[in-house]
Amino acid sequence: MVKIKHIAVIGSGTMGAGIAQVAVEHGFDATLYDIDQQQVDKAMASIYKRLDRHVEKGRAEASVMAEAKEKLSVTTDLLSIGSVDLVVEAAPEKLEIKQSIFQQLEEYCPSETIFATNTSSLSITEIGGKVKDPSRLAGLHFFNPAPLMLLVEVVRGVETGQETIDILTAFSEQLNKYPVVCRDTPGFIVNRVARPFYNEALRIENDGVASVEQIDRILKKAGGFKMGPFELQDMIGIDINFATTNTVYSSFYGDSRFRPHYNQERMVQAGRLGRKTEGGFYDYAT
Amino acid sequence: MTMPHNISIIGKNKVAEALFTYWKDHADSNVSWNDEQRLAEAELVIETVNLDQYDKRQNLSLIESIAPRTTTILSTSFQWTANELASWLKHPERLVGFAAFDNFADTKLTELAPALQTDPAHLEAARKQLEAIGKETETVDDEPGMVFPRIISLIINESVFAYMEKTARAADIDTAMKKGTNYPYGPLEWVEKVGIENVYAVLEGLHRHLGEERYRPASLLRKFVYAGWGGSGRGFCEHEKKEVKELVK
Repeated sequence: MVKIKHIAVIGSGTMGAGIAQVAVEHGFDATLYDIDQQQVDKAMASIYKRLDRHVEKGRAEASVMAEAKEKLSVTTDLLSIGSVDLVVEAAPEKLEIKQSIFQQLEEYCPSETIFATNTSSLSITEIGGKVKDPSRLAGLHFFNPAPLMLLVEVVRGVETGQETIDILTAFSEQLNKYPVVCRDTPGFIVNRVARPFYNEALRIENDGVASVEQIDRILKKAGGFKMGPFELQDMIGIDINFATTNTVYSSFYGDSRFRPHYNQERMVQAGRLGRKTEGGFYDYAT
Repeated sequence: MTMPHNISIIGKNKVAEALFTYWKDHADSNVSWNDEQRLAEAELVIETVNLDQYDKRQNLSLIESIAPRTTTILSTSFQWTANELASWLKHPERLVGFAAFDNFADTKLTELAPALQTDPAHLEAARKQLEAIGKETETVDDEPGMVFPRIISLIINESVFAYMEKTARAADIDTAMKKGTNYPYGPLEWVEKVGIENVYAVLEGLHRHLGEERYRPASLLRKFVYAGWGGSGRGFCEHEKKEVKELVK
């Protein structure tokens, strides 16, 4: 089994930067790629800042975090990535972009390099469909924020090899995460099973069974959830939540279990997206 | 000094047992469980059948035949709305729907659902009795499973569909929901706490009342109920052991 030492992370947005940070914190070399130099510089600065904060808060030794910084490099040249053991792609959620990244990388990476995609909504099988050897490609779905959230879904496409799954599972464990292996199904586990928490709450509210405030109180006090479905949508972003529901719904070919609610769409149309717009199901304006 | 309240609990399931134990430990009341004679002086009767309609009707007609006509009746409205339950009574104005699972002791809040026919005085009486045992209440509209039972039953149903389709191992589905989205329990262990019969009852109730495919219970959930495997330690992780060879490809 390939031992992972050096990884490349493609895409330096929130997820990509978070994944690169976790990797260097746990002793891996990480090369963070993005198309724009300013963007990668910004990502590196934000990672440095978070590593420094570990030291300030007494969560880590300064020497250890200095080592972690040395393990991080950035590039804007995709083809310079070459001989890494693992590529984690965290590019925008567009099928063609992801397929094209792996098609280019397979020309330059050794045949043992594992290809992983951090997609939350696209089919692993479809992304792998364009590479010559899809057995080396799998999903590696981190949750936001990647440095804090402990779950990683290791997703098996139709052609994904068992060794690829084993390597990614072991890698996730080395990051001190909880890996769960799942089949390439719409929404994988979390984004699928969590849908009714939001969707049914929207339905119940719109049908006049209970109010937004009541539903949140009931789910916390009778259900033991840390946050109610409306507070949580406001925190995640109602637009993000609506987009996830839409993707899962269409990937299940319109199964009514996942049908989005028009009232959630109305919130998006009104620009009431939650905390980030100072108003969603609740008001946050100061 | 006020007189202790007379409360009768009628039902043979774990919900009834949980309510009886909790009431006995938390209120200065005379609480009885499946004691027909005590129904005659009951101020409040709590009825808990969720699965079988014949049993539910039998219980309610037994209560009406013995308890005074002014007695408040709290009945779990999971598979049937309070509206439908009240329609079976000669004095429907005294029935109030409510939500209670097998783990009644673990929850701070109880939902109450008055039927269209319910007299507000009976709703208020039910609310006071729940507050006397330290439960907050929320009054919601009368639909099968009200709020929390409805939402948790749909989450559990989806996790059973995912398990049936071998999307992931049972323990991994639970881990995913706890670590990926901070649920207090994984849905497949949660079903053991709230009671699989009750979850199935809510889904059946929603499916029948609202008539939508959305609420169709997963067939394996139904099989567990018929096999009597709910809450018996024979959960999904046990079920999986039989099939483990096929799962590890």
